[in-house]
Amino acid sequence: MELLNPEIAAANIGPLFAGLVMTIELTFVVILLSLVFALLVALGGMSRFRPLRWLVKAYIEAIRGTPLLLQLIYIYYVLPEIGIRLNSFVAGVIALTLNYSAYLSEVYRGGIQAISKGQHDAAAALGMTSGLAMRRIILPQAVRIVIPALGNYFIALFKDTALCSVISIQEVVFTAQIIAARNFQYFTLYTIVGIMYFTVSFPAARLVGYLERRMRAGYRRKLR
Amino acid sequence: MTDAPSMIEIEGLHKHFGSLHVLRGIDLRVAKGEVICIIGPSGSGKSTLLRCINHLEVAEAGRIRIDGQTVYRDEVNGSMRSHSNRAISAVRAQVGMVFQQFNLFPHLTVIGNIIEAPVHVLRRPKDEARRRALELLAQVGLSDKVDAYPEELSGGQQQRAAIARALAMDPKAMLFDEATSALDPELVAEVLTVMRDLASRGMTMVVVTHEMNFARQVAARVIFMDHGQIVEEGEPRAIFGAPREPRTREFLRTVLDR
Ligand SMILES: Nc1ncnc2c1ncn2[C@@H]1O[C@H](COP(=O)(O)OP(=O)(O)OP(=O)(O)O)[C@@H](O)[C@H]1O
Ligand SMILES: [Mg+2]
Repeated sequence: MELLNPEIAAANIGPLFAGLVMTIELTFVVILLSLVFALLVALGGMSRFRPLRWLVKAYIEAIRGTPLLLQLIYIYYVLPEIGIRLNSFVAGVIALTLNYSAYLSEVYRGGIQAISKGQHDAAAALGMTSGLAMRRIILPQAVRIVIPALGNYFIALFKDTALCSVISIQEVVFTAQIIAARNFQYFTLYTIVGIMYFTVSFPAARLVGYLERRMRAGYRRKLR
Repeated sequence: MTDAPSMIEIEGLHKHFGSLHVLRGIDLRVAKGEVICIIGPSGSGKSTLLRCINHLEVAEAGRIRIDGQTVYRDEVNGSMRSHSNRAISAVRAQVGMVFQQFNLFPHLTVIGNIIEAPVHVLRRPKDEARRRALELLAQVGLSDKVDAYPEELSGGQQQRAAIARALAMDPKAMLFDEATSALDPELVAEVLTVMRDLASRGMTMVVVTHEMNFARQVAARVIFMDHGQIVEEGEPRAIFGAPREPRTREFLRTVLDR
């Protein structure tokens, strides 16, 4: 058995790289959407309006209680039966955003609740309404606290996009599968795919580690 | 002082925490420009009273008037109706509060802390707010810390910045809840100096404190609270020199003869 075959690698690196670009695109679109959507979910979960809190709770439990793979399949294959037909990229983005937002909203909630009562009191005593206090005082501090946790979730998301191969988004794993079905060069192809994932994840994880250290250093004029 | 117009008037204030009756009918009047100090044992309800004055705690019964206006709620045909959140915030914007733990906003610089509410609550132009903030920082002796972050400051400096932050709203009155209790002993004086200075400028002040010398020297009136009631009040000379109530005598004995 030939291990990493350089000719096979050279011949297929182009399409695999295009697959990686799709993987990264998918990741970034979902990051942007879920950053915003998860915050809305978190705020909804803390709303004074009880039905909204219940709705948020039901959504989070439903997502956490079922596999991401099933959620992907459901949105892509089952929704068309009730007349909602989505292309695979859109279906993948929706499934991943819904899934990750459920977890990220809990991260946000933790960050918001970590801000002391004294901060709320001080803002209120200065005449800020609760909305203004949330926007100007609580959220900026909470977001900073949760940045490392968000970063770790986004690295996990980057890898989870591989599941989108089942709904035939042409990301890197799907691309490798298609090529392998033709030439049976599993070892070479999947090794390259593994290296590609690692080449992105590893520096990203280091960046998260750096952000975490910076965050722990506190608020200073000169951040080191 | 009694014939000066009132800044804060409290009538029949009651507050429970669950089954705990923390304020049991407080009546208190603070004249414009008057400085009163509230003393009393731990748990007597001093903080709760201050927090009710700016509605950080909601009293169940009683009435509060600030500068002649009934605030936070009205009695309409015998039942109480709360004011809107916006109206409540507008009242709070006129009453400054200084906390034991400073509660500066750690993500903003000193000047950022001070201009935050003038710009976003009062909608003052930023440069005007900055100009006023620099004056106030000079007043509290922090001109060299304008761009520092709170955690780069000592406790005393943080508390002076917090006082400047409250003053930036041009409040009608200032509430101090044990402003020096969290400070190392050598930092207490610098904060008390700022408070003394403020009193001499004619600010209406309600000061909860364990600093008996401050109360003796600065207060026009001293209020002694115990178990959610005002037990005794009077000029500092009378309260410290010849307290009438046994509970006042006992409290003063414990705090003065340490
Ligand atoms: N949020 C709260 N929930 C429940 N009980 C409270 C709360 N805040 C205060 N209490 C209780 O109310 C009582 C009065 O508290 P308060 O803080 O007003 O006392 P204080 O006179 O300020 O005391 P100290 O000198 O220790 O600051 C205490 O028994 C306290 O435990
Ligand atoms: Mg207290």
